[in-house]
Amino acid sequence: MGVVINAQRLVLAHFWSAFVVFFGALLLGEWQMIVRSPLHAWVSIPEHYYRSVTGHGTALAYVFPTLIAMGFGYAITELALKQALIGLRWAWFAFGLVAIGALTTVTAIASGAASILYTFYPPLIGSPFYYIGIVLVVVGSWIWVALMAVNLHAWRKRNPGEPVPLAMYANVAGALLWAWTAVGAALEILLQILPVALRFKDTIDAGLARILFSWTLHAIVYFWLMPAYIAFYTIVPRAIGGRLYSDSMARLSFALFLVFAMPIGLHHLFADPQVGSGFKYVHSVFTAMVAIPTLLTVFTICASVEIAARLRGGRGVFGWLRALPWKNPAMLALTFSFVMLGFGGAGGLINMSYQLDSTVHNTQWVTGHFHLIFAGAIVIMYFVIAYDLWPHLTGRTLGKGSLIRLQLWLWFIGIMVMTVPWHISGLLGMPRRMAYFDYSNPAIAPQAWTVTAAVFGGGLLVASGALFLFLLVQGQRGPKVVLRPYRFSEPVHAVLTVPKALNGFAIWVTLMISLCLANYGVPIAQLLFTNTSVPAVFYSK
Amino acid sequence: MTAQRPRNISRIAILTVAAIGLVAFTMGFYIFPARDSSGTLWQRMCRAAGFVRLPADYSTLVVPSTFTSVVVPHALLGVGAPDQIGHGATLALRCSVCHGARGLSGADAPNLAGQYAEVIYKQLLDYQRGARTNSVMNAMSSSLSEEDIRDLSFYYGHLPRQSHHEDLSSAPALIRVGDPMRNIPPCASCHGAHDGKDGAPELGGEPGTYLRQQLTSFADGTRKNDASADMRSVARHVSPSEMTAVINYYAENER
Repeated sequence: MGVVINAQRLVLAHFWSAFVVFFGALLLGEWQMIVRSPLHAWVSIPEHYYRSVTGHGTALAYVFPTLIAMGFGYAITELALKQALIGLRWAWFAFGLVAIGALTTVTAIASGAASILYTFYPPLIGSPFYYIGIVLVVVGSWIWVALMAVNLHAWRKRNPGEPVPLAMYANVAGALLWAWTAVGAALEILLQILPVALRFKDTIDAGLARILFSWTLHAIVYFWLMPAYIAFYTIVPRAIGGRLYSDSMARLSFALFLVFAMPIGLHHLFADPQVGSGFKYVHSVFTAMVAIPTLLTVFTICASVEIAARLRGGRGVFGWLRALPWKNPAMLALTFSFVMLGFGGAGGLINMSYQLDSTVHNTQWVTGHFHLIFAGAIVIMYFVIAYDLWPHLTGRTLGKGSLIRLQLWLWFIGIMVMTVPWHISGLLGMPRRMAYFDYSNPAIAPQAWTVTAAVFGGGLLVASGALFLFLLVQGQRGPKVVLRPYRFSEPVHAVLTVPKALNGFAIWVTLMISLCLANYGVPIAQLLFTNTSVPAVFYSK
Repeated sequence: MTAQRPRNISRIAILTVAAIGLVAFTMGFYIFPARDSSGTLWQRMCRAAGFVRLPADYSTLVVPSTFTSVVVPHALLGVGAPDQIGHGATLALRCSVCHGARGLSGADAPNLAGQYAEVIYKQLLDYQRGARTNSVMNAMSSSLSEEDIRDLSFYYGHLPRQSHHEDLSSAPALIRVGDPMRNIPPCASCHGAHDGKDGAPELGGEPGTYLRQQLTSFADGTRKNDASADMRSVARHVSPSEMTAVINYYAENER
């Protein structure tokens, strides 16, 4: 007992369903790229395009990362706490809810009754089954949140005063963040959208709905990010033969994500008239604060990597870079991830600035930005997590290192080839969410190459995704192997005690909730108490 | 790592976040509003918080009589009971001179057979209230009760529409894809084939003369009963040759 995964089947079920959903959505994304590019005649049916966009967005925003976070969370619970997962039945029940929810939602989208995009866009109202499916996914994930808290609590009772292992600390930080951030969209769906979708009401306050959605919309990104950051801190340094530079710095980063990820969502509504400019400015400032945990992470991880290089005999100010294990997939993926995080983060600074945003708002730039961060920096670390855990989940060896490296290279190049042109076309003013461009129009013709480039980038991504699934399947069939017990990265200095504030969440959750009230209280209350509803527009064929 | 350390971290965290908040709120609600120029400082600060005081005469602003706010969702009207449809059929006898015995006009008046009930309902109400003008229709609608209007709509909505093809591959670009650079959405996204929007009529098979008259009067602003001025802002940007192409497509799309 101890450093093996008892809930193997549970974790595998999460990962497999996550990656199958991921690959399906990836194909949809590439199809969208092709049909709106100059390479293909226009399909003439915009509804099909938006149906596909809705499927792509819903699967990749709500289902895929949630399943990864849940599966990874269960694995961490057993591996870091060295105890069997408490509530295994509940975990399966939660998985069932997510699966049923995902199927319900996908069916609603596929039938063409909910081509409303994953951001819902009230007063547009689609089939109630679409929203009910999403609610089921969220409820399933909330059970996971509760299980994470219960398991940590049980461990603490057994190990009073001991420092919580870093991986579990970060995992629970992610769970708490998700529990709180999902409240916004949950309120929007349950109190505003569903009563209309079920035809109990025919008006909806679209402004309020957008504010509630922004409550979820930005912090959900950090929920997607959490598994990647956990991999940065607790997998990569060990995988490349180094040590984590600072355990406390890592904890502080996760704690700060809890505080600063939430009260910042209004920067998605800079162009919305129902929010006062003062609150937009305040949210802009707090969004900038996210740079702190991000830069702390970049610093800590770079330092950890340097430690690995020097342990391997690296010398000099920059000479140690040569000593790094560049053939190690974790090293390669980390590098790619940081490059993409760097470009994406720089673009993000523009989006979050109240003034600069107006130049790129709702353009293809924004699409480029979040694909670079999520599909790029984050998803490539999901691959690392899967590669790292797979032998421990299957008890078999994983495929060739060269194929894994090829897969990571393809993904990195694909993302860059796809998103850099998107940023450029965004600067040229190309709007996002367009089903069609008339490239024969002289005003648009110069932007045509950006869409063509994105098709080729997307093609590389599809190839990489297929190779990834192939490697996972191969990993299930490989020769059996007896592994050494799984371990997470160890810090340079053994962690004997941890400051109480960084061993628990009380202060950080308090700050998170207080800031939410300060930053969201007035805009929400104002719309709650004034009637600014508009007629709902029912989406129907 | 003594016992004092935890309290220090919490205190530092709270103070830092409070300081950031203080600076942000001061900038957002005092410094920037103070540099604004209209209204008192207090009004500017309220505006920054999203509270806007409407001008004193806001509620007495005159809404022109030609303005229409009628948009009837399809679900609200429904399809009508048999007796309602029957009543509508009786009333429709007086419409048949122009609109045909079974809702298919031989006189360049719109074909009403199979038209969405909510479309006919809206137009009759607008004729009655003067939001849409036509000397014949204003007179014809003046004596109708709201119930009459509803039943007439049910009747025409109930009549069979002659089949028309939904394949748009031969349709002009404006119908299929619009022209985003001129803010013209595809006609088909509201008027059938791809999608229908509340209040927008199905256009396939309408007489060309009627369609040209309506598009022209939307373009020059003499017809104003499109809620939110949707059609006026579209028609203004359409060139004469495009207009002809669109009209020919819909008119030839015989029912």
